[in-house]
Amino acid sequence: MVTDVRMPGGRRLRVNWSQQIVAYLFLLPALVVFTIFAWFPIINSVFMSFQNVNLVDAGRSTWVGFRNFERMFADPTFTASWINSLEFTVLSIIIGFFVPVVVAILVNEMRLAKSFFRVVYFLPSVIPPLIGLLVWRLIYSPNPGGLLNSLVTALGGAPQQWLQNPALVKPSILIIMTWGGFGGTMLIYLATLQDLPVELYEAAEIDGASIWQRARHIILPYLRPTMLVLLIVQVLGLVQIFIEPLVLTQGGPGQATMTPVFTLYRKGFLNGDYGLAAAWSVLLMIVLGIISLVYLRMSRITE
Amino acid sequence: MLSDSAWSRAAISNLELRSLKGQLIYLGMLAILVLLSIVVIVPFVYAFTSGLKTGREIFSPNFNLLPAQANWDNYVQAWNYFQLPRLFFNTAVMVTGGLIAQIGVSMLAAYSLSRLKPLGGRLIMLAFLVTLMIPGIAYIIPLYVTAARLGLLGSYWGLWLSYGVNAFMIFILKNFFDGLPSELFDAAKVDGANAVQVFVYIALPLTRSMLIVLAILTFVNLWKDFLWPYLVLLRSPELQPISVFLYTMEQRSTTPVNIQMAGYFMAMLPPLLIAIILQRYMQRGLSLGAVKG
Repeated sequence: MVTDVRMPGGRRLRVNWSQQIVAYLFLLPALVVFTIFAWFPIINSVFMSFQNVNLVDAGRSTWVGFRNFERMFADPTFTASWINSLEFTVLSIIIGFFVPVVVAILVNEMRLAKSFFRVVYFLPSVIPPLIGLLVWRLIYSPNPGGLLNSLVTALGGAPQQWLQNPALVKPSILIIMTWGGFGGTMLIYLATLQDLPVELYEAAEIDGASIWQRARHIILPYLRPTMLVLLIVQVLGLVQIFIEPLVLTQGGPGQATMTPVFTLYRKGFLNGDYGLAAAWSVLLMIVLGIISLVYLRMSRITE
Repeated sequence: MLSDSAWSRAAISNLELRSLKGQLIYLGMLAILVLLSIVVIVPFVYAFTSGLKTGREIFSPNFNLLPAQANWDNYVQAWNYFQLPRLFFNTAVMVTGGLIAQIGVSMLAAYSLSRLKPLGGRLIMLAFLVTLMIPGIAYIIPLYVTAARLGLLGSYWGLWLSYGVNAFMIFILKNFFDGLPSELFDAAKVDGANAVQVFVYIALPLTRSMLIVLAILTFVNLWKDFLWPYLVLLRSPELQPISVFLYTMEQRSTTPVNIQMAGYFMAMLPPLLIAIILQRYMQRGLSLGAVKG
């Protein structure tokens, strides 16, 4: 069955309805799962943030206006969580951001064993993060017999409370995150570097540029657009830190590793305060959405 | 894309590599990479060897990565204590179902959007893509509430169905279908094939090599998932996948550390082996994502 549909602007569109039905049947599974597991929850989080939520029966939830938001802003963990996020972000840019860049440049110079390094560095990315963290917890054990402490002692240092000392806990966690993530990021840089035309090196060489100067003036500028995009990806990940405090620190010591997602989790699932947790969700979605928009802008510019 | 053209030059030229200075620089770089490899592998080795130690040995203040004597029996104990075969089975069931849902749903949607031209298709694609901007963890609370009200908690369905949501995969597959020459499809239509036949006999076979890559990548990603399976299967310990079960065990029991470590090491082995054996596919899969980001 084919009919003409009048489109806005007076355009006529020939529509084959039986073909349309088939097209939508193909789309149906996706529309159903996206509705249940993405679109509806996203929209519903906004509604829930204005409610006192009854988990079992939506009809028994009551509207409470802006009360959840007022409670969220008044909560001392609110400021602590977001400041921690900021500190994690700044620290991680110092500790972790340049690791994959440098490693990719070095691996790219290798004439042999490139694929060996690629695979080895990538291994921490494939294991379940939770199991990796359970192992790391023992490595960071405050006991003088913990692996890291015994190493530090053997090198003449004093045992540390890696996860219990507020000054050490963030860097300690970021080292685990770098361990878990730099291999995958490095592969992206490496793929970019392999597109770098060899003629550029040769031209620089003829101009008398040293190896260091070639790295500084050819490789780094070539990587810069990718670096900008991956910087935003990294920030996006850091705002979502959750499993590390869950497994390693419970947000402590004090509130040193309380993060927005971890707080949201505690409000929702431990206290059953779903309305308050939804208010946290809404704010988090706004923040993450803005960062994603910046990311989209960036990656479009890069192309 | 990530070809190993071993002898092609990068910043250091082949000529420079023959000079003493060039060789020193090269060796220095190699040394850094080797050292880093060791650091990266230590946690795996540590889990493995701690699993072979006695409990007291693990907390001996002397730096010792290797056990005085290998207690292989710990591994047997951990295998039985954690009921690892069941955990691997559960994880495999969860991951396989999720994989089928994710790839099936995405293939159908991508094919429709690319080839069947549904009305409003662009808008629907946009609505899919919007979900990429908001990471799932941000709406985990309403998601949990929805799943609870639909009675999806405590069963694999809550996981399988939710794993069908992957806008990125729809995006990649749609681009793939967009890039195929339309003559392929037109010819089949002229021969009288209907939309389903064209999909099954023309489109599906063409995607095979890409599907392998996507399947491996999805497999590893779903194997890693923790929070959502934890929430869905919180009260069904007999269904829990490996990382959820090990976490809940760790929370409430006093398992000896060496047995724990033996269990953790065995839990890490399947994904590690996949990454090593299927490295080419995995890395190609990653570069699929990398192109856009």
